[in-house]
Amino acid sequence: MIEFQHVFKSYGRGRNILADINFRVEAGEFVFVSGPSGAGKSTLLKLIGGLEPSSRGSVQVNNQRLEKMTARARPYLRRAVGVILQDTHLLFDRTALANVMLPLAVTGNPTATASARARAALEKVGLSGKEDLSPIELSGGEQQRLAIARAIVNRPAILIADEPTANLDHDTATRIMNVFRDFNRVGVTLLIASHDQELMARYATRTLRIDNGKFADSKGAQV
Amino acid sequence: MNSWLRQHRYALAVTLRRLAGQPFSSLSNLLVMGLALALPLLGSAILISVQPVARELSVTPELTVYMRVDAAPGAAERVAAQIRAEHAQQIEDVRVIKREEALAALRNNPAWSASLAVLPDNPLPDAVVATLRTGDDLATRADTLAATWRKLDQVDVVQLDSAWVQRLEALLRFARIGLLFLAACVAVVVLATVFNTVRMQALSQREEIAVARLVGATESFVRRPFLYLGAVSGAVAGLVAIALASILLQPLNSALVGLARSYGATFTLHMPPASLLILAVVGAAALGALSARWSVTRNTRF
Repeated sequence: MIEFQHVFKSYGRGRNILADINFRVEAGEFVFVSGPSGAGKSTLLKLIGGLEPSSRGSVQVNNQRLEKMTARARPYLRRAVGVILQDTHLLFDRTALANVMLPLAVTGNPTATASARARAALEKVGLSGKEDLSPIELSGGEQQRLAIARAIVNRPAILIADEPTANLDHDTATRIMNVFRDFNRVGVTLLIASHDQELMARYATRTLRIDNGKFADSKGAQV
Repeated sequence: MNSWLRQHRYALAVTLRRLAGQPFSSLSNLLVMGLALALPLLGSAILISVQPVARELSVTPELTVYMRVDAAPGAAERVAAQIRAEHAQQIEDVRVIKREEALAALRNNPAWSASLAVLPDNPLPDAVVATLRTGDDLATRADTLAATWRKLDQVDVVQLDSAWVQRLEALLRFARIGLLFLAACVAVVVLATVFNTVRMQALSQREEIAVARLVGATESFVRRPFLYLGAVSGAVAGLVAIALASILLQPLNSALVGLARSYGATFTLHMPPASLLILAVVGAAALGALSARWSVTRNTRF
């Protein structure tokens, strides 16, 4: 479950990137966050992932109030929330398999278990046989899927993705969205920031429209 | 527990991978630290080798107790007996030199005979010469005994005949302090080298650190490989220092053999005992880890 109550976000004394945001996403929902560039979509996702703090208001993720969370507890929230950012943040000095194994190393899994689970995650996103390649040897779509594999390998309850299909061709974008839909079908809560109207029409069960830091129009959002 | 061990094993593997990833830089850092650490090791090797020789050289530290010129006959013998009775543990030998014997000895010396001939009377007092037992802290013991004996009945002056022992001990004390100062300087070199190495590593691993945090790594997980880097660097540098010091002692010993032989002695410099060497390696590792912790805390705030 994700809940925002009167959330504001600004940097320094600048304008509010997010202003009085209120919404609630139940466990297992598949929600799109749409809006033009600079509307505040990425910031919204970063607040959910605990990557940035809100300036004001209450953000609740997985029954935990993030503004009351200590720095020591934050990593444990991140393990429950898989994050796929616009920049994939892959490590190019190691193999695709090693990239996916990193979250499992963080949680102290045995190497054999980590390797098996990472291979399974790569298979899930259609990257079987590319385990030993460096991310630099993969195409843009494959890199995106590798980032997804890394985000799901720890079996998070919530998955957030920021423009995961940007700059991808239609077929690759569809393939990635199908992967997300499969995760959603097994109970993973999904929040995807996108401005691709066609994808939203095909996959969204609910869309939160954001513009200039505020919900412009919300289909199902509780304002 | 297993998970904890696995995380440490992972951190060690990451550390070794990072060290191996920049072999030239890693080796040059280790060499710089090893050379710096070799200096106090060499110093302590010299000090440890010289100390027993110095003890051997200070063979007969003597205190001479001069009685008053007008002291009653037999006073020197009484003082000698008292010294024997009260300080037997610290005294090797006590003998009385009568003023007549002293005068006779001086008269046999051509430098003094002419001067003594013009004197109407014997100006010399009776004396008691006490030979002290050798051992640790001789100079302090001699001072204490001199102060005590100065208060004995009819004693005029107490003179420490082996003042050079004090000078030698002072010299060794100075060398020990110098060695401590050198060790402190080397510790600063190790701290600075590890600090900078970890800083450079942290900057070059920014992306990896960011990704690790993104997927839920705790700060301990992020910092642990850097702590290992500092500790491993310190320990390896300590071992390099021991190897270097051992190698450098060979030519020094070759040169010393001739010098020692000219004094009819056999003298060689040798490395400090194994316990001290282990302590040096552990100390260097701890210093490296400490510096790495300081550096990583400062340089991973992003």
